[in-house]
Amino acid sequence: MANVADVAPVSGQARPPRSSIRELVAQTEIDLRLFGMLVAFILILATFHVISGGKLVQPTNMLTMSVQAAGIAIIATGMVLVIVSRNIDLSVGSLVGLISMSYALWMTDWFPRIFGISANVPFQWVLALALGIALGAAIGALQGFIIAYIGVPSFIVTLGGLLSIRGLVWYQSQGAAVTGLDPTFQLIGGGALGSVGATLTWFLGGLGCVAIVFLLITSRRQRHRYGFPVRPIWAEVLLGVVGCAIVLGVSWFANNNFWPKGLADRYAADHGIPIPAGGLLIPTGFPYPIILVIGVTLVMSWLANRRRFGRYVYAYGGNPDAAELGGINTRWTILKTYVVMGVLCALAAAIAAARLNGSTLDIGVSYELYVIAAAVIGGTSFAGGIGTIPGAVLGAFVLQALSYGLSFIGVNSPGQNVVAGVVLILAVGFDTLNRRRGA
Amino acid sequence: MMIRRLASITAIAALTLGACTSGGGGASAAPSTAASAAASAPASAAGSPAAACTVAVSWNNFQQPRWAAHDKPNIQQTVEAGGGTYIDADANLSNEQQATDITTLLSKGAKVLIVLAQDTTAVLPSIKAAKDAGVPVIAYDRLIEDTGALYITFDNVGVGKAEADAVIAKVPKGNYVLIKGDPGDPNAKTFLPQGWDQAGLKDKVASGDIVLLNGPDGTFTDAWKTEKAQSNMEAIIDKAVADGKKIDAILAENDSTALGVVGALTAKSYGYPPLSGQDGDTANLNNVALGRQYVDVWKNANELGKAAGAAALALCNGGDMASLKLQDGLIDPKVAPVAGLTAQPFTTPGGNTVSSFILQPTPLTADNLQLAIDGKQITKDELCKGVDAATAPSACK
Repeated sequence: MANVADVAPVSGQARPPRSSIRELVAQTEIDLRLFGMLVAFILILATFHVISGGKLVQPTNMLTMSVQAAGIAIIATGMVLVIVSRNIDLSVGSLVGLISMSYALWMTDWFPRIFGISANVPFQWVLALALGIALGAAIGALQGFIIAYIGVPSFIVTLGGLLSIRGLVWYQSQGAAVTGLDPTFQLIGGGALGSVGATLTWFLGGLGCVAIVFLLITSRRQRHRYGFPVRPIWAEVLLGVVGCAIVLGVSWFANNNFWPKGLADRYAADHGIPIPAGGLLIPTGFPYPIILVIGVTLVMSWLANRRRFGRYVYAYGGNPDAAELGGINTRWTILKTYVVMGVLCALAAAIAAARLNGSTLDIGVSYELYVIAAAVIGGTSFAGGIGTIPGAVLGAFVLQALSYGLSFIGVNSPGQNVVAGVVLILAVGFDTLNRRRGA
Repeated sequence: MMIRRLASITAIAALTLGACTSGGGGASAAPSTAASAAASAPASAAGSPAAACTVAVSWNNFQQPRWAAHDKPNIQQTVEAGGGTYIDADANLSNEQQATDITTLLSKGAKVLIVLAQDTTAVLPSIKAAKDAGVPVIAYDRLIEDTGALYITFDNVGVGKAEADAVIAKVPKGNYVLIKGDPGDPNAKTFLPQGWDQAGLKDKVASGDIVLLNGPDGTFTDAWKTEKAQSNMEAIIDKAVADGKKIDAILAENDSTALGVVGALTAKSYGYPPLSGQDGDTANLNNVALGRQYVDVWKNANELGKAAGAAALALCNGGDMASLKLQDGLIDPKVAPVAGLTAQPFTTPGGNTVSSFILQPTPLTADNLQLAIDGKQITKDELCKGVDAATAPSACK
């Protein structure tokens, strides 16, 4: 339950003043694991920044990297719940492939046939996305049912899913690539056009800032009301200020990424805008996949920490027997974790298909490995009961930072795989040592 | 793996040689006689000695669409038109299954064995069994490391040369990006880059006309994955923009990687510098028509199938592997082996010398896309999907 801030060991008002740095940090109730990982992430970027001659850390590059990490990050949030409840899901990569190919076929073949060959159905992307989410949820429910109610081990069921679903992808298009999606759907994949723009980015940043302050205040009030110990006021202010600074800083950073020159020039020509001396600078702001990652992280954290479903998942993972005896409908809970996975796979598939403007036989191949790696680097324990959603998202970003950084400085795929593998082992090894020492 | 997917070419219309259909022409039939006889195979089939010929094909898989769609029907039609009998088996990507299949095919009375090998060396015991039974073997599209197997395929070095020829002709000077396939595949690592160098890439890099933006070896793509190629290309574009350099052309080894490159160029709104590929995949040919990929090197599987069928019939009647000859005029000169119409010795990577017919691929650009429609590689609807009528290539008008 390390993720749940309000049950972590807290400092009380009555606590005598302490002076060591460790104590001061403890008073802010910052999750040290998460904080450590954030530091590691920054160190990785800084290292590659130096190696690349100071060229890596720029808005464009960081946004590309984040968009590339988006799919893995989104699925990893669900993998946390699955692993926390002592299961595994190996089928996510194949499921992404299946749904991604489905989007492509629906929009290039089914919809035109159903709605007439030339009909440019205005909201077909909504329809496709809804069908994809339904498909993901249905397949997740089927796998979850076999695991929870029939009792086949999840490793076996999802390994079967990994193989058979990938086989189905072949049958969908006889192995061929399918391209040419709805232009609106393509925006889900990010890029200059698939971004929210400067105004909305600032608005979202401001909203995030307000939300942080609001949450700090309500949480303090709640704790007072129930007589829980609260953070010292300096810690509250620090968290608010730092949180706001980060959110607004990231928004500013994203708004310093501009449309590619060719696109901006074309836009200027089309709209009769004179091009200024330094070129027409149109900020992109946050790409849609990043918005999706942020949204999914918030919703999944809320599910995990604030909803009964999430509590049950952690309770079951911590001690299955106790959870069962405590009256939790464990089977239904497990089934639901797989439904959530299916929905998340549908979102990741939408990003993958939109990014490529189509789908191929190999979309999503080996996603399961990266997703599990992201969750584990993010502090999820295979022993069950432990793991955080933001940790897994950060884990996905750490993996992608390595992969993107290496390819930015020209290291080939085999080298990238070696590094990713070593980092996975190091991260978990370090964490294990740390826990043993702490225990 | 995608690289193998589309082996083909435009017109090896008749790999003839076989005495098979020349009524009464025995094993010693002169190649020219045999050729003309084969050319009129359908007419002369009746009563031909080849009627007794059973040609067996062991496919390693039918998962890639080309085998069932192009290769199999052409082999079958050629064999049956020549009076032979066609049988086959699909090993579903398994070496063990392929060994079982070959045993079964031999026991069914195969007189000639055509093998699309799952693995070039794992298949050897089965090849030995066939040779012991006196059955000649044709290595179809994929090499078999055995001196007794006739190798019929496309020139993979030539594919690389055709890719680079087209792109370098378009962009003789400038900044190039090299996108390669799986680092474990000899096509990706050796043959295709050799072809690029034959087209002058190496010399132009040495003279400074061409600058390689992503290192002298380019960027490899695990398992030829489209997604990976896209991620790599995005990083390369970001790097080029950060360095203030413009990408003038991109050499991608095959279509699955080229598709990823187009994805990256689109995501980055970079525009579409000339880009190569090979395989003639539907999505990529569509990209050629849309102006997003400059050249797609196409290997016409239909013709490869016909060639193998004709060769099989010839071997069936005792034709000598080393002196097999193709008839003049039946083959489109653009796709005939560079070395001429007689079987040529080919030195394998394993150091063996085999007889071979190495056909030439066809580079498809916006100017000659009609060839792909004519070869039934793609329908006009698929090719021209989303193409703007104003800028459409002639094949879409």
